[in-house]
Amino acid sequence: MLKALLEAFRHPKPDIELGAGSGFGTPSGRKPKGKAKDWSGTLKRLWSYLAVRKAKLGLVLFMVILSSGLSLLGPYMIGMAVDDYLEGAGGRSWGIFLGALSLVYILYSLTSWLQNIWMIEVAQETIYRMRTELFAYLHRLPISFFNRRQQGEIMSRLTNDIENVSSTLNSSAIQIFSSVLTLVGTVAVMLWLSPLLTLLTFIVVPLMLFGMRWITRRTGPLFKERQRNMGELNGYIEETLSGQRIIKAFSQETRVIQGFRERNNRIMLSGYWAQSISGFIPKLMNGLNNLSFAIVAGVGGLLAIHGSISVGVILVFVEYTRQFTRPLNDLANQWNTLLSAVAGAERVFEVLDEETEASDEGAAIALEHVAGAVQFSEVAFSYDGEGDTLQNISFEAKPGEMIALVGPTGAGKTTLIGLLSRFYDPSEGRIMIDGRDITSIKRESLRGHMAFVLQDSFLFKGSIRDNIRYGKLDATDEEVEQAAKLANAHSFIMRMPGGYDRMLSADGSGISQGQKQLLAIARAILADPAMLILDEATSSIDTVTEVKIQEGLQALMKGRTSFVIAHRLNTIRAADRILVLRGGRLIQQGSHEKLLQEEGLYQDLVQGQRKAAVN
Amino acid sequence: MDIIFSFLKKYRVASIAALVMMVIELAVELSQPLLISKIIDDGIREQKASVVWLWGGVLIGSAVLAFIAGVLSSFLASHASQSFAFDLRDRLYEKVQGFTYEVFNRFATSSLITRLTVDVSQLQDTVFMSLRFMTRVPLVVLGSVIMALVVHFKLGLLLAVTLPILIVFLYWVMKKASALFRKVQNRLDGVNSVIQENLTGIRLIRVFVRMGHEIGRFANFSGNLMKTTISALRLTETTMPFILLIVNAAIVAVLWFGRVDISTGSATLGETVAVINYSLRTIGALSALSWIVVTFSRARASSQRIGEVMAAGNPASDGTAGALGFLSHATPNPGNANDSAAAIKGSVVFDGVSFRYPGSEIAVLEDVSFAVQPGQRVAIMGATGSGKSSLVGLIPRLYEESGGMITVDGVNSAKLDLNKLRGAIGYVPQEVLLFSGTVRENIAWGNEHATQKEIEQAAAAAQIHETIANLPKGYDTLLGQRGVNLSGGQKQRLTIARALVRKPAILILDDSTSALDAVTEGLLLQALKEMSCTTFLITQKISSTVSADLILLLDEGRLIGRGSHAELMASSKLYRTILESQTGEAEQHVESLT
Repeated sequence: MLKALLEAFRHPKPDIELGAGSGFGTPSGRKPKGKAKDWSGTLKRLWSYLAVRKAKLGLVLFMVILSSGLSLLGPYMIGMAVDDYLEGAGGRSWGIFLGALSLVYILYSLTSWLQNIWMIEVAQETIYRMRTELFAYLHRLPISFFNRRQQGEIMSRLTNDIENVSSTLNSSAIQIFSSVLTLVGTVAVMLWLSPLLTLLTFIVVPLMLFGMRWITRRTGPLFKERQRNMGELNGYIEETLSGQRIIKAFSQETRVIQGFRERNNRIMLSGYWAQSISGFIPKLMNGLNNLSFAIVAGVGGLLAIHGSISVGVILVFVEYTRQFTRPLNDLANQWNTLLSAVAGAERVFEVLDEETEASDEGAAIALEHVAGAVQFSEVAFSYDGEGDTLQNISFEAKPGEMIALVGPTGAGKTTLIGLLSRFYDPSEGRIMIDGRDITSIKRESLRGHMAFVLQDSFLFKGSIRDNIRYGKLDATDEEVEQAAKLANAHSFIMRMPGGYDRMLSADGSGISQGQKQLLAIARAILADPAMLILDEATSSIDTVTEVKIQEGLQALMKGRTSFVIAHRLNTIRAADRILVLRGGRLIQQGSHEKLLQEEGLYQDLVQGQRKAAVN
Repeated sequence: MDIIFSFLKKYRVASIAALVMMVIELAVELSQPLLISKIIDDGIREQKASVVWLWGGVLIGSAVLAFIAGVLSSFLASHASQSFAFDLRDRLYEKVQGFTYEVFNRFATSSLITRLTVDVSQLQDTVFMSLRFMTRVPLVVLGSVIMALVVHFKLGLLLAVTLPILIVFLYWVMKKASALFRKVQNRLDGVNSVIQENLTGIRLIRVFVRMGHEIGRFANFSGNLMKTTISALRLTETTMPFILLIVNAAIVAVLWFGRVDISTGSATLGETVAVINYSLRTIGALSALSWIVVTFSRARASSQRIGEVMAAGNPASDGTAGALGFLSHATPNPGNANDSAAAIKGSVVFDGVSFRYPGSEIAVLEDVSFAVQPGQRVAIMGATGSGKSSLVGLIPRLYEESGGMITVDGVNSAKLDLNKLRGAIGYVPQEVLLFSGTVRENIAWGNEHATQKEIEQAAAAAQIHETIANLPKGYDTLLGQRGVNLSGGQKQRLTIARALVRKPAILILDDSTSALDAVTEGLLLQALKEMSCTTFLITQKISSTVSADLILLLDEGRLIGRGSHAELMASSKLYRTILESQTGEAEQHVESLT
């Protein structure tokens, strides 16, 4: 049993620098990476969210003032009751007095009810705004942001961290208000009653402040660490659950459980220390509170013997000492939740401080109509600023032409498409559409004129119909079905139970990869864009079906500039121009016929496929 | 709430110690009004300074004692609650990993994530708070009431009558609130799932310029979350003012009757003051109440949600039992089955196998029979949605067949140890799934004991070694979550290397060469031949089927053709159609040029 007891004190402490944990200390120590935000800066920012509902907050504040005043009046009246009515002889207005006391109590309940109700509304609306703003902001961040981070880690900021802020705003904000007010009020009344006793009560105050400073300097960074660990764990869970199929098939459960345990353990340690140390606060306050209680009672008793104060004053004072330390105690407790919320808010703001996709230049315009002439001139691009993924790419596509991109994997085909849609901007050179540099076109407008079938066809949770309709939100059911027919998806959809209304789960189980691609094609067909981009759009579709949808696709591509990436070379024979890429360079371009006669990669590729087919 | 107790049991010593510390603190606090009344009645009234000194000293001594107890309880409570949360999370995750694929799919990933994080944290908070001060509230209230009764029974009774009202009211609020909070947590799941979906589909959303649409959808979900949260909190916030009202009414009553009793001499001033003091303390303790109601109601909702996961998928079939088996007795090295005594050789027989997805009426596979010898290559062809992926998914028992039998090395695969079976299989799924980490880690994921040489060999066979070697950091290159800085085809080949490094007896390639050009694919197939494992190859390309020992042609879940290339050329019209779709025109073109 002793062993079990000792275990409680044997957790190794995470290695953390003391930081700007406290409002009392000077901000120092560890700064969050990225743009460093100090503690009070985070609070200020949090306030700017709350401040939107100033009027209601004003009401809340008013109620807090009222209720704090009433909460001071209560004990004072009890003191009066003891001195004047219980001990003394005065008895004339006893009934009225008790009536007044009852009224005070009723008003107190009412005002504290109102302040809470209103505060909750303000707090939850604030949280709602923060959450949606963060979410909307994510959609403005460059794709490279998402390449760098774990999905679950980002998720954690939108859930765990925001929840943390939420629970603090719900209760702590009011508590802090009212604590401060009660504190000020109590001190004033105490001073008025007996300056000497007040001074005695204050003996413990420096001790309190010192203790809180010591504690919060330690807990601040610990809370931050815990939130970070939580994000990490979230990321790990997300990844291993999304990859469940692989884990099962490779029977690696034991291993991921081990990995989970390590991260879980880190949370436990940082949580243990954050909670243990912050748990000192109320205890410290309680202890000091008891101490001052004893001082007041003892000294007050002695004073009363000499008749310099009345018993009633002692009683009031004892109660006020409690009143005085209670808000301090609350403040200390709230300080603690506040720290953990600040840790959460900081992580939210970290994302909001990320640079967005270079915002559209001031002069950027929205294109009404796009003919579809595309020109790349000496374009180069690198993901990390080191090795070039694309170098010196120049080509031209006339409106309505079909451009095919061919080359071994890793040649830069998808990257080229990414540049055209401005997921990334080229490090050198220019890309023009209809003779206009695409950086001078609003991204949304640019993308709005394109429809994509991406390499990994992604489906949303929802019905098949809604998934196709994603290409054009206001499409009628007939239009959706028409698009599905063109994509050759209609027949398989009709065979499914529920047909177009069949619900798809987020991981798209119950539908094959090829079928997903057919739906993605239908989606692009429905979008009816000026430019069409097909990145391995038919790679998982069997060739017989492919032949069938080829017709639909050809019809679709007519009159639209289209870019097609494909490995099955016979699907791109009809291209007006074929771009052959290798190692990020454009090594050949021309029509199928022309390239076949040139010695080079294209010929090799065609020969290879032909040879493979005939053997 | 059973979950809390069953998991807290392990830390009962620390928990009880924490509670004892808290009771010590409480005893000190509760004795204070009594001591004060002694100072007033025995000291001040009797004009005895020594009595005042004595009791004043006792007050200080007890304050120090309470402080020490408080600090200790902080450590003990953190230890118990954090370890409790660790165990709970650990067990929950283990449970989820032990799910069959079918049970796993019953929960949305985002919901499982919330349950593992937010819900567990909620319970952790509750345990911590309970050990620290929530249990204190009923104790303070009860203690105060008892002390009040001891000091003066009649006046104390006035305080005591509020108790039943409090209890009934609280019970009602908690019950209602926990239902509301359950709704809140479910809404949170909804919000979470939109986030997850958006992060996964971010490219698609960008290119279709549907940001506004998605933001609207999210605002809708989080607006619902806000509304539910507000209504839940509104209820709980009513608790406090109401209870204050009741206890304050008791105080007014005590004052009224106290005065009467003092005038008749049946109560002293000190006694009346003490009862009032205890009433005030009750109120002080209750001030944390609405917050406790919130915490407990939430905890109840969370523990229900966790309970759902814990109860899900209790072993129904051999497969599940096997999947859970690894939890109790860790297999030494599931990654490398070649080490085990009777290594799987790789003959696979499907005997009248049919399959439908759990909960679905539609047969995905019907009456499929074929036999494969160790080392043979099987190519599987068929239209989109004809059941190819489902067929190979049955081999590592990701799903259980609904009829017929699959035997591996002549043994019903349902009877095989799941770890052993899967350990002998290298599986490359259609979708590219890589994990955060380096290229090396991702390949070694297939076999954690693989040496650098083995990793490189596997990479070479998968035709990716050169690409990796040319990366600035080579095998130590970090991959994003979904391996974004590599091209689709490169990622695909990494997943192939991951399967090959296991030196599997059975290799499953689920259309894993779709992003490879013909030349690379040819080299890959050549390299596979040398590895002499039974290979299942789902493919669209006739070029890959030609060299197969057996070709299976699927159509809407039925096996409509079976045989070698030559046999199918002769017997299957569909096969010829497929061939034509791929070679017909291209061949003519090429030939016209030569």
